[in-house]
Amino acid sequence: MASQADFRDRQFLAVIGDEDSVTGLLLAGIGHVTAPPDNQKNFLVVDAKTDNSAIEAAFENFTTERKDIGIVLINQHVADRIRNRIDTYTQAFPTVLEIPSKDHPYDPEKDSVLRRVRRLFGE
Amino acid sequence: MSLNPNPHSPPTTNSPPTTSTSTPPKQQDPPPPSQIDTLLQHYLTLLDAYTTQRAALHTQQTALFQNLARANSLEAGRGVGRYGQDWYDGRMQAGRRVRIGLGGEGESGEGEGEERGDEKQGGGSSREAAVFTVEVYPKQPSEEEKPVKDQEEEPDALTTTENQESNGSDANSTPSQPPQDPQQPNPQQPNPKTAAHQTPQTNQTPKAEAENAPKDPLKWFGILTPLPLRQAQSHAITAVEDIIPRLSTLSAEMAAVELEVRRARKRRVKAEKGEGGGGGENERGTRWGFG
Repeated sequence: MASQADFRDRQFLAVIGDEDSVTGLLLAGIGHVTAPPDNQKNFLVVDAKTDNSAIEAAFENFTTERKDIGIVLINQHVADRIRNRIDTYTQAFPTVLEIPSKDHPYDPEKDSVLRRVRRLFGE
Repeated sequence: MSLNPNPHSPPTTNSPPTTSTSTPPKQQDPPPPSQIDTLLQHYLTLLDAYTTQRAALHTQQTALFQNLARANSLEAGRGVGRYGQDWYDGRMQAGRRVRIGLGGEGESGEGEGEERGDEKQGGGSSREAAVFTVEVYPKQPSEEEKPVKDQEEEPDALTTTENQESNGSDANSTPSQPPQDPQQPNPQQPNPKTAAHQTPQTNQTPKAEAENAPKDPLKWFGILTPLPLRQAQSHAITAVEDIIPRLSTLSAEMAAVELEVRRARKRRVKAEKGEGGGGGENERGTRWGFG
């Protein structure tokens, strides 16, 4: 289990999604850019040209490398592009939530939490 | 009709000695299954709450996207462009941040406290699930300022009355003087408000704090932002402050209960194995128990 100091430092939300999703969530004031040497952003705007490797790298950055992220929000259709990585993610912190996007409605069948539910009752 | 009772009656007559010995231990067993049942019942309650919050998030996101599209269409008419990443502030600072606590700490959360109570009653899980909250980053300035205001306002009131008593010999004219006294220190008029901002030791590094202080993201998009964009922001704030932390908390609680259920299932298998060890009912159960 994670130590208290570990999760108490996790104070930011991170977003991986299309432009409208990221813009909407940044409007709520969750966007953060770290001090100049690094200038690390806590969001990634994904479009059709974005490579899956870039999405996976951002996910790795938010979940394993950075220790200041508490919640990672990712569009479900973007999560589908790195589904294997999402399904194998088991850490308690940061927690990963799949959110709907404008063009791709939320599909409960793909939600990682509801997949866990089916696994629990299917065993 | 006559044939049916006959096949039933022989087993009932033969079985009583065997079933009477086997049924009592099965009726004593229920404690472990009932614990699993209560855990699963609690788990389903959490699942229901999760589904409800999911629907709420869907509603907020839909409204957010609609308003954003309206704002974009308005801007498209002006030829400015759409609200997107081109407008983001490269030095943005988070104005809403996550706070993570353990379920037993009871730091915050009204509805979450109820959920915790349910968890303790229903599940009785030993592991404390994380509780996520999202708060405005410059921590609750209103509550910190209030006592400062009160402390400052009282001495001001006392000094004004003292001045009135000392200066004005006409005690009857005092009601007309109080409005004059606050006018005299006009440069200091913002005492109750600005002093509250200044007294928390902002005099030392006001510029640095002003630079580091999170700004309203609406200002990235100009001074006069359209109404749909503000409405989109309000929906986004509702989603970020209320729904997303609840979903995260519920997900963590569900994971904790899942762990408890699996542990209880293992305990049940071991208990069955221990009881069935004398009879040697099935080897599979014993293998699972050791595995």
